Amino acid sequence: MTAPGKIISGTELADIPSAEVDYVVVGSGPGGSTAAAVLAAAGAHVAVLEEGGHYTRRDFNMQESWAYPALYQEHGNRATEDLSIMILQGRSVGGGTTVNWTSSFRTPERTLALWAARHGVRGLDAATLAPHFEAAEKRIDVGTGDPADVNANNRKLHDGAAKLGWEPELIHRSVKGCARLGYCGMGCPLDAKRTSRTTFLADAVAAGADVYADCRAILVETDRGRARAVVAEVLDRAADRPRARFVAYARRGVVLAGGAINTPALLLRSKAGLDSGQVGRRTFLHPTVPLIAFYDQPIEGFYGPPQSVAVHHFADRGDRVGYFFETAPIHPMLAALAFPGFGDTHRKIVERLPYAQATIALLIDGHHQDEGGSVAVSRDGRIKLAYPLSEPLREAAVAALGDMARLQLAAGAREVMTLHETPLIIRSEADLPAIAAAPFGPNRHTMFSAHQMGGAAMGDDPTRAVVDSRGRHHQIENLWITDGSVFPTSLGVNPQLSIYAHAHLFATEIAAAAARGP
Amino acid sequence: MTTPRRWYNCDGMANASENALDRRRFLKRGLFGGALLLAGGSLPFVFRTTRRDWAPRGPLRLLSADEYAVLGAVAARIVPGDGADARWPRADALDCAGKIDALMATVHPDVGHDFRRLLRLIESGVLGAVIAGSPRPFTRASAAQQDARLEAWRRSRLALLRSGYQAVKRLCHATYYSSPEVYELIGYPGPPLVPQPVEPKAGDAVRGR
Repeated sequence: MTAPGKIISGTELADIPSAEVDYVVVGSGPGGSTAAAVLAAAGAHVAVLEEGGHYTRRDFNMQESWAYPALYQEHGNRATEDLSIMILQGRSVGGGTTVNWTSSFRTPERTLALWAARHGVRGLDAATLAPHFEAAEKRIDVGTGDPADVNANNRKLHDGAAKLGWEPELIHRSVKGCARLGYCGMGCPLDAKRTSRTTFLADAVAAGADVYADCRAILVETDRGRARAVVAEVLDRAADRPRARFVAYARRGVVLAGGAINTPALLLRSKAGLDSGQVGRRTFLHPTVPLIAFYDQPIEGFYGPPQSVAVHHFADRGDRVGYFFETAPIHPMLAALAFPGFGDTHRKIVERLPYAQATIALLIDGHHQDEGGSVAVSRDGRIKLAYPLSEPLREAAVAALGDMARLQLAAGAREVMTLHETPLIIRSEADLPAIAAAPFGPNRHTMFSAHQMGGAAMGDDPTRAVVDSRGRHHQIENLWITDGSVFPTSLGVNPQLSIYAHAHLFATEIAAAAARGP
Repeated sequence: MTTPRRWYNCDGMANASENALDRRRFLKRGLFGGALLLAGGSLPFVFRTTRRDWAPRGPLRLLSADEYAVLGAVAARIVPGDGADARWPRADALDCAGKIDALMATVHPDVGHDFRRLLRLIESGVLGAVIAGSPRPFTRASAAQQDARLEAWRRSRLALLRSGYQAVKRLCHATYYSSPEVYELIGYPGPPLVPQPVEPKAGDAVRGR
């Protein structure tokens, strides 16, 4: 039996110049951890490189001032270039799963059919994925939807949707022994949330994989169509500046899973495997538009499971861009960032925090003619994300605001407040037309994204896709991508579980092919 | 919720917030935006008249003393507490500008550079005159003039100015509202008390501190 590996942090790593393993995996979120676990279980020696630090439940103090700088990309500063869309994306051992809000969905069949019909994805239907979803659901303890998980914030979404006949559903959550604290986004202090760190990554380590934390992959080295090494910077955690170099040599292959913004950026920086012209293109975000409602009774949206109800009634709007509704937890910093204005104007909104409800509309981008955003890398390595808000998306955002306002009124809100730079106050149906008349555009209304997808799409046509329908790079034969960047469009549901399942399928096939021999 | 609650101590780390600007992208956006940022980068005398009302508590990690003074003046207007209601702490009482300086020292050097450029632009009396009829350096303008200038950035037709406003707005609000000192004022009881985790078993993964 293989000796277990370990998790090595940057302070120890400064003395280790290199390692040679069978597979180098970049990223320890759902995609990287699952690939590492499957490959290590098949007997391969695996090294996982993770840019973020290694934190455990003892570190998770439920303070936004600690959690966002420590556990999010760019210390919580990631955004589109013009700052119009704030990007919530994890960065620590466990990646996005450390801060994920636990909502677990399988990839909708409608989305899989779209990929097959329009994006050249072959052999990837619900039946093919089913065993891999089952494996992931079992390992991360995805439940069946528990009415006791519904806090007041989600209750309003549920009741409003039910009144209007919009079919609210209970969300399946990846938790075990959840105390319903409400701090999933800051790291679970009980380890009740099942993260990749406590599941697949732990399995990988038990099977001999080593995890290198504080280790930022900056280049994939290729040689005659094969990836041979990943060059990384070892980071000084406090300063977040490089203190040493680390090279991980890959005997068999390299798996990229740094997330849908970092993975395309890594390929672009490496100037490797770019022939498709699709790397860093068609980046999708489920651009998210929040709406605030105020109630007479306290909502206390800072406590209780952040998301337990979803409404997919408007996911399919025919020719128009669809959307779905969920809620966002209402902690002081996140709310203050979302609320418009400054000084006393802003203060008067924040003061009503306990009475606020937050519904969010997630726009299902990439399913129509919209091309999403793009990822580029500047000469000195800085990642630049652009996401122009196209007219079909703007139309959907404005329509979603109207529908959310209607829902809130139906749920009994005293008043609804939009997050336009000059907020609209809606007290009755008669006020709704004001929404369509208000300016909606970059930095004129709060938008964010917690779901990053695309940028290195899969598909069997090498001129239109970066990797094939099993995640293998079209040009670099021993390089795979197992994160959300392979999705040719957004999913229309929270992506974490889909990333686990796709990674599980892809890694299973990598291991099977390796077992058959060269 | 019946869980007993108590206040947690902040880890002393600086705060989350938002990115600054990227010059090249704005250059592509059109002459006016581009010219503005070029101007921001080449205003060598802009800090000559800066009033250093706001002095840092300790050594600065990214900003110069002048840049810090501009940020301090901006933060005082962005957050509540500057005379409006005595219960609310002022920005300097929570060291907002100091926390922002520490945070921006850890982001990509380009972003830090653009942030400094942005502060220079905010201080500029020339830009103040153009956008809000307020020709004095930001740090020497009255509170009402400062608000009018921030308001002009916020509502500007120029994407560049709106982005610049969002950068300082989000940084200030993030540092301020994630401070336990304001939790009670906004009706937030703070994180719940959770059982102390048990000590790690032998063989538990190595801690990465």
